[in-house]
Amino acid sequence: MSAAHDLVVVGAGPAGAAAALAAADAGLDVLVVDEQRAAGGQILRTTPPEFGGRRKLPTGYPWAGELLDRARSHPGIAWRHGATVFGILPVTADASSAGGADASAGPGSADGADASAGPASAGFDVLTSDPADPAGSGRVRARRVLIASGAYDMPVAIPGWTLPGVMMAGAVQGFLKSQRLRVADRVVLAGSHPLLLIVADQLLAAGARIEEVAIARGIPSPVELLRALPAVPGHVRLLGELAGCVLRLLRAGVRISTGTVPTEVLGDGRVQGVRLARADRGWRQTGPARTVEADALVLGYGFHPSTELARQLGCALDWDSAQGGWIVRHDAQLETTVPGVHVAGEPSGVAGAEQSRAEGELAGLTIAAALGRPVPERALAGARRRIRSASRFSGVVQRMFAPRREALLELATPATEICRCETVTRSTIDGFLDENPFAGTADAVKLACRSGMGPCQGRYCESAVAGLVAKARGTGVGEAGRFAAHIPVKPVPLQAYVALADDPAEVP
Amino acid sequence: MSERYDSIVVGGGLLGAALAWMLAREGARVALLERDQLNQHASGQNAGSLHFQLEYRMVEHGWESARTAAEAMPLHLEAAREWAALGDELGESLGVAQQGGFMLAETAEQVEVLRRKTALEQEWGLDVRLLDGDEARRLAPYLSDSVLAAAFCPLEGKADTRIAGPALARGALRLGAEVRTRTEVVDLVPAGSGWAVHAVERSEAGERRLRLEADTVMLAAGVWTTRLGQLLDVSLPTIPLALMMSVSAPTAPFVPHLVQHAGTKLSLKQTGNGTVLIGGGWPARLPLAADGTPDLDSRPTLLQSSLVGNAAAAIGVVPRTASLPIVRSWVGTTTVTPDQLPLVGQVPGRPGVFVATGGSAFTLGPSFARSLIALADGRPPGIDLHPYDPARFERLSHARR
Repeated sequence: MSAAHDLVVVGAGPAGAAAALAAADAGLDVLVVDEQRAAGGQILRTTPPEFGGRRKLPTGYPWAGELLDRARSHPGIAWRHGATVFGILPVTADASSAGGADASAGPGSADGADASAGPASAGFDVLTSDPADPAGSGRVRARRVLIASGAYDMPVAIPGWTLPGVMMAGAVQGFLKSQRLRVADRVVLAGSHPLLLIVADQLLAAGARIEEVAIARGIPSPVELLRALPAVPGHVRLLGELAGCVLRLLRAGVRISTGTVPTEVLGDGRVQGVRLARADRGWRQTGPARTVEADALVLGYGFHPSTELARQLGCALDWDSAQGGWIVRHDAQLETTVPGVHVAGEPSGVAGAEQSRAEGELAGLTIAAALGRPVPERALAGARRRIRSASRFSGVVQRMFAPRREALLELATPATEICRCETVTRSTIDGFLDENPFAGTADAVKLACRSGMGPCQGRYCESAVAGLVAKARGTGVGEAGRFAAHIPVKPVPLQAYVALADDPAEVP
Repeated sequence: MSERYDSIVVGGGLLGAALAWMLAREGARVALLERDQLNQHASGQNAGSLHFQLEYRMVEHGWESARTAAEAMPLHLEAAREWAALGDELGESLGVAQQGGFMLAETAEQVEVLRRKTALEQEWGLDVRLLDGDEARRLAPYLSDSVLAAAFCPLEGKADTRIAGPALARGALRLGAEVRTRTEVVDLVPAGSGWAVHAVERSEAGERRLRLEADTVMLAAGVWTTRLGQLLDVSLPTIPLALMMSVSAPTAPFVPHLVQHAGTKLSLKQTGNGTVLIGGGWPARLPLAADGTPDLDSRPTLLQSSLVGNAAAAIGVVPRTASLPIVRSWVGTTTVTPDQLPLVGQVPGRPGVFVATGGSAFTLGPSFARSLIALADGRPPGIDLHPYDPARFERLSHARR
């Protein structure tokens, strides 16, 4: 194993890239691990070099090109692309010597209880999959880690949502950005997040026919718009982009329905139609549903932060629905409750690329300062100012587009699969809650019903399971709790564990 | 004003749920109190092995300790019978499958361990026989050529740890027992001829204090047993052992047996869902509280050496596991006692209070429950519980004073 890096950054999106750059500028030795082939994350994703042509970045983020170019060419930053961080282990003084702990926990001894002190002092072992060898794995030592792992599309379980052709807005955009791939010819989009309009516009430009865009909420009231005004300065470009999308969609004759929710996906083996219905201000269905023929349904109700590494490390999280659900608790320095573990970007609350980049910058600077590098107060103040400015905008977006989770949950009928990995239906979970009045947490349901135990590790069903527990017990989702996360946070073959040995000779 | 019961069970794992169900079946008015949710700790986190052969941890430290461990064989034989019948009695599946279990040897030295171990177990009446490598592979084609011999015990198998405890608790509920989760016992004091149990019930709304009375109190609290002993001013020493397990994504059935190893820590089995569970006692790190004692409320952390060692042990004897996608590796904290024998019996000097924990308390849970209930009724417990008498530690601690 190579010598320890000062900082390992998980994720090369705006937060991770900005953090790496700020930390490396301040003199740290930084490694960035990212699942993609190139830096930029989901938001700044581009086609691979094999496609040729000039790099095309979204126009709303004028800083993006320079950030990526400077980070990529910085001598203080090493990159490991195409690799997944599948776990992070705190290193304690004893475990860092002589190839790990004594494996022979004998009877009567207290080997299970380790005499070492708190976890932070000796750093972390970051466990990565090996892009070149599916059976391999890697282990890098870090003095500090930054989790900048972004967010994923908020799943919404409706009847028929497991049919091929039902996709999430972020994923559809990913195909367009990375491979110029149009996922279907005739598309219905349903959701509430502004990204939905952007994706509809991009699909239209790619030659798809947009059958309808169904927005759950109504048209913003004048009061809401007035409240939103203070957030606008500095973000005119982004708002202009969104207005342009709507104009182009309307000009193409696309039907944009407000106060509308999808109630069912129709089809035999693939999507053939979508049932849409009117909904009230609380997003509850009010009228009968009508059928719109289509071969894809794109859902876009928002994003959940990727918090699995923070959970696996034992960081505290808090429930905040508008910010994306479970978010990682952190201080003003963006350090989590586990010393030495920091967050930036969406895991600290889903707030978009602008705020992610500013948080990354602050995290990079404060980590450098904590490791004894000189960091000018001016730089810290600048980063804090940019976070404040970005958060005025993101706060308004969060308030205006907050998902009505209780109403979305009611789109699932008893036969709807809540957990698609383990094929657990809503009626199974509701039935368990009925028969087991002593069970009151999402984890208790997971253990009993297997919902959340499959390869997606609960990313798809956690919020629905917790919502069902909260509903059955008359509590909040926060009290129903969340699933625990374990190594590996994404599946790896058993062989990859053996490859974590320092030295093949160490393998018993 | 307090609520009155015949019996209060403290702890909502497999043992507590079995106690509540068995007591309710006898017509007792029962309350089960659990500080967290049911089945969340050792009972729901262990690998569900129904193992009756001596384990690696019992034979790795020489012959004397193996002989001592073998003294618990009557409990194991009783447990094998209990598990075979439990699901039918309850009327609900506990995911029990007893299709036999192997303990494997890959070196000549391990073969010798198996030979002596098998002879010792047979003396105690366990149905176990020694096979050579080819005989073992005929029964279990998934075993690697490196297996030189195997001890096969047809009684061994597995239960589903996810469902066994809650199923028993539901059985208790159906018979009128009360099951209270998020309810932590904070004091135990004599009251009349019985006991008053003070508890705190926690919810979003805050805390509520409860006082419950019962003729008997059953402590089924695993690693929290020692803490409950302190409330009674009695020494009930336990040692928490944080152990790692891993589970794969579901795959087509290929391992019907329980697989253990005579020379390394390994247990391997395939569940009814098709997932392959791999464990065997590889240690994890249990954080320490400020006073230097294990902090049972913090999450243990995995050790890299255990990830490597457990995977290598599994792949060595069942090569097909190498490519299985692992979905989770987690830590369960099990309870052992300083002398490796379980604690089963009346709490010394505290008539009406009974305790069971320590060592294979999942496998032995139903037997522990049956024995405690017999003791509480003043009936003979069916097996000789003297070696497990909790008073043995109390005597030691008095001798030190």
